[in-house]
Amino acid sequence: MSIAELPSAPLNLAGPTGDQPPRTFAQQAFIDTFSNWRARLGAVWIVLLAFAAVFAPFLANSHPYLLKVDGRWSSPLLEHLAPVDVILLVGALTAMALLAMRSAGVRACAMALVWMVALTTPLALWKVAWRNRDVLSITIGTPLAWALLLVVCLVILGALVWTWRGLGRQGMVRWPLLAAGALLAAVLIARPIDPPRTVVYEHYREMERAGRVQFILRAPIPYSASDRMRDSSQHRLLPPSWWGGDARRVSTWHWMGTDVNSSDVLSRIIHASRIALAIGFISTGIAVVIGVVIGGIMGFFVGRVDIIGMRLVEIFEAIPTLFLLIAFVAFFGRNLYLMMAIIGLVTWTGDARFIRAEFLKLRNQDFVQAAIAAGLPLRSVLFRHMLPNGITPVLVAASFGVASAILYEATLSFLGLGLVDEPSWGQMLEQARTLGRFTWWMAIFPGMAIFLTVFAYNLVGESFRDAIDPRIRKL
Amino acid sequence: MQQPLLEIRDLNVAFDMKHGQIRPVRDVSYCIYPGQTVALVGESGCGKSVTALSILRLIPEPPGRVLGGQILLEGRDLLALSEPEMRKVCGKDIAMIFQEPMTSLNPVFTIGDQIAEAVLLHQHVTPRQARDIAEQALRDVGIADAGRRLDEYPHQMSGGMRQRVMIAMALSCRPKLLIADEPTTALDVTIQAQILELLRKLQRQTNMSILLITHDLGVVAENADVVGVMYASRIVEYATAEELFDHPLHPYTEGLLRSVPRLGARADRLTTIPGTVPNPARFPSGCKFHPRCHRMSGDPACAADEPLLREVRPGHWAACHHVEGHADSPVTRPALAHRRQLAAAEGSLVA
Repeated sequence: MSIAELPSAPLNLAGPTGDQPPRTFAQQAFIDTFSNWRARLGAVWIVLLAFAAVFAPFLANSHPYLLKVDGRWSSPLLEHLAPVDVILLVGALTAMALLAMRSAGVRACAMALVWMVALTTPLALWKVAWRNRDVLSITIGTPLAWALLLVVCLVILGALVWTWRGLGRQGMVRWPLLAAGALLAAVLIARPIDPPRTVVYEHYREMERAGRVQFILRAPIPYSASDRMRDSSQHRLLPPSWWGGDARRVSTWHWMGTDVNSSDVLSRIIHASRIALAIGFISTGIAVVIGVVIGGIMGFFVGRVDIIGMRLVEIFEAIPTLFLLIAFVAFFGRNLYLMMAIIGLVTWTGDARFIRAEFLKLRNQDFVQAAIAAGLPLRSVLFRHMLPNGITPVLVAASFGVASAILYEATLSFLGLGLVDEPSWGQMLEQARTLGRFTWWMAIFPGMAIFLTVFAYNLVGESFRDAIDPRIRKL
Repeated sequence: MQQPLLEIRDLNVAFDMKHGQIRPVRDVSYCIYPGQTVALVGESGCGKSVTALSILRLIPEPPGRVLGGQILLEGRDLLALSEPEMRKVCGKDIAMIFQEPMTSLNPVFTIGDQIAEAVLLHQHVTPRQARDIAEQALRDVGIADAGRRLDEYPHQMSGGMRQRVMIAMALSCRPKLLIADEPTTALDVTIQAQILELLRKLQRQTNMSILLITHDLGVVAENADVVGVMYASRIVEYATAEELFDHPLHPYTEGLLRSVPRLGARADRLTTIPGTVPNPARFPSGCKFHPRCHRMSGDPACAADEPLLREVRPGHWAACHHVEGHADSPVTRPALAHRRQLAAAEGSLVA
């Protein structure tokens, strides 16, 4: 322990800093967590992964950034961006800008982020939705579709108004935000996001072979995840280009080789990080929300409510998540959102237990009694006064939950029950298993990605647990 | 005659435990008049805190249960109010401060946020005005540099300071009644004196009533107008503070007063009351004090039936068979509108 701590000594952020105002518990816990090199390592990997997920189309794409054909300039990459890409991009850029500003508070930053994402979502989706309006009205039924649309519009409008008012007099954030929003709206209305439905990646290679391309600027990895290079069967199952062997026969360069469909493995790993992150965060988010509400009610009201609640928890704990997932996939098809919902709906029990235990302890604390005696409504007592004091064990559990959700998805894909078309790490491992001959690059690289990600979450979670545990904590 | 602010009539509280019921409050009645300080005194576990908590309906249910009685605030029965109506009373008409200032403030919010939240709830003000009210409240309780203190967290303050913040929070909505549950027990002696004096000063300014719960007779002597002595979940003696200290009638009160150490008196050991506080699950029969009583420990009447609280002298209630004239006195609910002239010590300790 002490030897492991030594390298971080010169960078010790938690040390006494003289006259600075004392930190809040949350700040101190954050600093303690990341004063540990293992947690920093984990955080670096997660940040890298998030970066890869957000900028995946810019890192690995068959569409070039810039292209000049027959004297005409174009940017196929921008033209082929999907609405999701744009929403993620705007969110990430806003977050980076807010981090760089550093002047606004946490609350204002969160509000600003919600504002930008709420503004981008309808703007990015309107053209695609308009193009598919026939499909929408036929499949959902017109009145229902309109009602749904109305609800979505109201939610988005509500989010905009709420965040705008929540910013208060934060002029530092407010006016740049309005300018950025206006610019974004102008761009997205003038040039709507409308990617072509049929994509022929071979097109660029043909043009290049024909000598029509006068200028081309490609992405660092010039292959999309779904670019299968079907016409050139010699690209199938190539080992990494630096390895030698078969790879020498082709002119293209593949850092991690190609898979059974001749797609680039590295490109697929980068694009699959989106699914890994999304399934981890969304399913854990669902679990935490359900667990906090049910656990909080159990811990606060005790008695009969608690007895019924704990039986509910036990019932849910008896459900084997993986088998339930397999059963649902068998009946309802391979749907990522369904998987997230099921993982979330089954794994909330641990969070509920933690919150219940914390609330049982907190409800007799004087400050909770004082809050009730001050006539505060139940909502405020439970979620404003008690929850922030009892949420930390759940946050620790959640960081482990993210890791286990990723493993669930990988397991499902490995069993051949995962997603078909979208790239996922588990699905690539499954290919390596079913090929019949040993293709080490198909096993090692996605396997390492899963391992490192789960390991990183566990490192951060463990360090966080140590940081908030009063017994281990050193003052 | 003046209307009482709070009138408690025959309050009974029970806790349903695994091995039967216990009764921490039995047939308790008393009145608090505007501007008055009523003290409830007694040993740990005698039911004085439960009495206070039941006024705000803070008794945990289950296992707690109010069996009967009325708690009338200006004629309105608090026990009959609905939850939302009760929330309007809590904090606005009645406020409470707790024994342990270290744990009675929420560690994750700033002082200003905590005071302003209650202000926003009970008064029609903007957040900005609520902050100003909070700042004024801190200034009223004698906290220097109130504007800066608003943005501090509880862990940045000392115990006495936090108790001042608690008082500021309780008084920010100008309550008519302040329930102080052992407000100075956790503080050291000089801070105790400051806090009590602060409470007296604020009481003079706002004419609020205080229900003071304590086991410290020194605190009672200094602050209370009227005193109720509780033993084994009942009031056993009720009188004005002067009367009680000069002429205690109940043997338990006598014992309590004798066990207070006196400056200058030579004594090898402090006087104590023999025996221990009875376990509420196994109260003795008859008078609950008779196994420890020095007066007539052989009297079969004491072990057989429990004496009622009777007005043995005008304005002096006691529950003991061996008080002169007890058997002939009327059984009435204790109520005293008495106000004591307390020495005004303005500005000596509270700046």
